[in-house]
Amino acid sequence: MTKQKVAIIGAGPAGLQSAVSLAELGYEVDLYEKKSRPGGHLAEWHVLFPDMQPAGELLDSLMQKVLAHPQIRLETGVNISGLERAGNSWQLIQSDSVRGEADAVVLASGFKLFEASKKEEYGHGIYPAVISSAELEAIFNREKEWPFEKTNKSPKIGLVHCVGSRDAKCGNLYCSKACCITAVKQAIELKKTFPASEVYCFYMDMRMFGLGYEELYHKAQLDYKVHFIRGRLSEASPSGAGRIQVKAEDTLMGRPLKLTLDMLVLMVGMTASVSPEVKENTVELKEYANKGEFVKIPGAVIGAAQWLKPGLFVAGACKGPATLPEVLNDARATALDLRNYLSGVL
Amino acid sequence: MTKQYFGFSVLEQRSVNLDSEMPAELESLYQKEPSLRACIACGNCAAVCSAGHFAEMQFYRLNVMARRGLLHEMVGKAAACMLCGRCQMSCPRGVNIRHAVLMMSQL
Repeated sequence: MTKQKVAIIGAGPAGLQSAVSLAELGYEVDLYEKKSRPGGHLAEWHVLFPDMQPAGELLDSLMQKVLAHPQIRLETGVNISGLERAGNSWQLIQSDSVRGEADAVVLASGFKLFEASKKEEYGHGIYPAVISSAELEAIFNREKEWPFEKTNKSPKIGLVHCVGSRDAKCGNLYCSKACCITAVKQAIELKKTFPASEVYCFYMDMRMFGLGYEELYHKAQLDYKVHFIRGRLSEASPSGAGRIQVKAEDTLMGRPLKLTLDMLVLMVGMTASVSPEVKENTVELKEYANKGEFVKIPGAVIGAAQWLKPGLFVAGACKGPATLPEVLNDARATALDLRNYLSGVL
Repeated sequence: MTKQYFGFSVLEQRSVNLDSEMPAELESLYQKEPSLRACIACGNCAAVCSAGHFAEMQFYRLNVMARRGLLHEMVGKAAACMLCGRCQMSCPRGVNIRHAVLMMSQL
């Protein structure tokens, strides 16, 4: 009997971990990645909260397992645009032609970062000193320059939480949940890089729900002297010499607050990347520029199978904002559901 | 002669300006009581305060004032504290409040 085959769409952390778990269960795995390199957002990150582990270490260990496994075939630069049911299997469509066929499919298309320039009042894309949290990771990775003078060893830096999250103006009512702890992590990295700097976090709530998060927040306050100010920034405006003046309501003081900064970092949230349109025998994998919805799994809370249709499973942050440990665990759980399906248990 | 305003009056500048230099005493306050930095302004200290119902005593607000460099405002309000220590027993962040208030009032 030939081995059963699984196709995975997306080679970010969810896709890579699904591939490893499924290959270990004995399946042939075809792993498709739209971009020219695997890793998703993980490939662009510097270090990971809360342990400050280099992101490259986690990606390398996942990639080593993927590349070493003879049953995993990774193809990059392949954009799967839809699926078609053919008997008991799924055909994978790439621009109107069949790219491959599999007994089951895992959709692991991940998320997109919120486009910071949409919050116009913060001036991203207009003032060079205003950058996104992802751009700050690129700076930490030495792929980008600091937006202030090299001689400035005591910069004043602001971090704005909830940019594009918990914001009906952006159409995103949800909390992206990883940005608060990312802000704390980045604030600590900034203080390590510039010990004489002043770092201010502008938050609405500090949502420190994960293992070790609250402890890291405590450490940021006590050991790194990061300032936390409760209040959402109303605007950022230029203040001469490339600096930025920000205004906010200091809601603990009940007074307006102003501050001039050398760099303003916008903690961008997660938005949907691929929104599947499910019909009877076909699934269209649509990419929306602005208003895609995360993939909804009915009954997910009570632990129903993580699938959209028989044999079409969904793993990772394409279902909604998630942290890396959650994504990796979800990929393992999805692999188990998938095995039960292919062995006739589910 | 009093100033005439058109339909509204203007208060003196009330915005917090974090560009102004922080008073030197602030750093010495933090050195005397480093746990002050751990405050998250949850308000538990004020909710259990035995003076809070009769005087303007909210420890977390004193701390916010200190953080914004408004030491003058802070010192005046710290005097309302009776140093009973109830707040300290309830502080979820382990701030050494009694000692902190004492240091604040003596600045």
